[in-house]
Amino acid sequence: MKQIVGVADMKVSNKTEESIITYSLGSCIGLVVYDPVVKVGGILHYMLPESSIDTEKAAARPYMFADSGIPRLFKTAYALGAVKHRMMVYVAGGAEILDQGGFFNIGKRNYMALKKLFFKNNVIIHKQDVGGNTNRTVRLEIATGEIYVKTSGAKEVKI
Amino acid sequence: MTSLRLLMKEIQNLKPIPAVVTQLLSAVDSPGSSMEDIANVIQYDPAITASLLKTCNCAYFGLKVPAESIKDAVNMLGIDQVTELALIKSGAQALSGRHQGYGLEQGEMWKYSVSSAMITKIVAAKLGLKNKNTLFTSALIKDIGKIVLEKHVADASEKITHLVKNKKYSFQEAEKKVLGIDHAELGAMIAKIWKFSPRMIKIIRHHHLADESRVSDREIAAIYLGDCICMMMGSGVGADGLAYRFKDQAMKSLGVTATDILMMIAEFGINLQKVDAFLQMA
Repeated sequence: MKQIVGVADMKVSNKTEESIITYSLGSCIGLVVYDPVVKVGGILHYMLPESSIDTEKAAARPYMFADSGIPRLFKTAYALGAVKHRMMVYVAGGAEILDQGGFFNIGKRNYMALKKLFFKNNVIIHKQDVGGNTNRTVRLEIATGEIYVKTSGAKEVKI
Repeated sequence: MTSLRLLMKEIQNLKPIPAVVTQLLSAVDSPGSSMEDIANVIQYDPAITASLLKTCNCAYFGLKVPAESIKDAVNMLGIDQVTELALIKSGAQALSGRHQGYGLEQGEMWKYSVSSAMITKIVAAKLGLKNKNTLFTSALIKDIGKIVLEKHVADASEKITHLVKNKKYSFQEAEKKVLGIDHAELGAMIAKIWKFSPRMIKIIRHHHLADESRVSDREIAAIYLGDCICMMMGSGVGADGLAYRFKDQAMKSLGVTATDILMMIAEFGINLQKVDAFLQMA
């Protein structure tokens, strides 16, 4: 069964018959976590770096922001038995429009918000496919922890 | 190079956008029109009326009493909402479908178009722009040129991809270099044949701001910004990806900061359910 993670959304599962997928990450980030021992994994699809720009919206849609969504992804995985030091972490997305520099580079700002949070909490990224000008779709198989990435017009690739 | 005669022939074979769109646009953007005038334009198109009432009565809009006529819908949801729904339903006929030349599966271009129109509405509100229905519709159909160009893009995909990946061309620049025309130019030609207003033709022609002298036109710049935000959001983005140019100059001209853009994205994020409700109309 396929669990679909929408935009500003998150899904975590321990059902080995399931796969979790999130479509069309442009400048948004798809954060994938997986604990191979208990076979618990999840994906968060967030749109923006920091919830401080609109706390009311963050309360209504916490998965819209890196700083309110990422802790929830980890905590939900822990609740299903995942353990931090065993977790594999994969990051995709954060694409940018050509010549989109400085503060206007939302993709890079989304990625930097995640890096800042990971640095503070000693989380290591195992693999990533970020930046560039393509949009990406990411899929996680709960039974195996295998991750697949697809860009528009190209075939899905296992990473 | 693609021959202009061949492209013109392909445009003639396109199923035209319903006449109700042009009638509706001239009614809504004319200061003398009443709600009744607008309801009258819509209700003479039975397919759009039926589909619009079905959407008005869906759970998202939460009407306590079902709308049974366009006049009911206008009274309950307001003229802006009903106009948007009618424009969306009309546009769906032209833009839904699969567009493989741009790597777009069934319905993806339509999803992008609806999202882009929704974002442009947010941009227009932030900038206090007036012609909101023209802007909404322009954003909705600005990529119409892709419908005709996609076959030629598919045939030349290797050359176009090479220019984008290795020669730092934007996708639009690569279309122009390889095919002799890009999707914005072709879209403007289609809009002209469909008898859209000169204003809309101009907006479609310049929606990527390839000609920087258009930056000072706030409506074109608003459509451009809406398109950039939509690309960043990724939904319905094809093989051309985000390979278009970002113009700081347009942001300066509009007086838009990076924080403003973050807030507009958040506003769109809160309204994602509305996009889904709209998409179900197609």
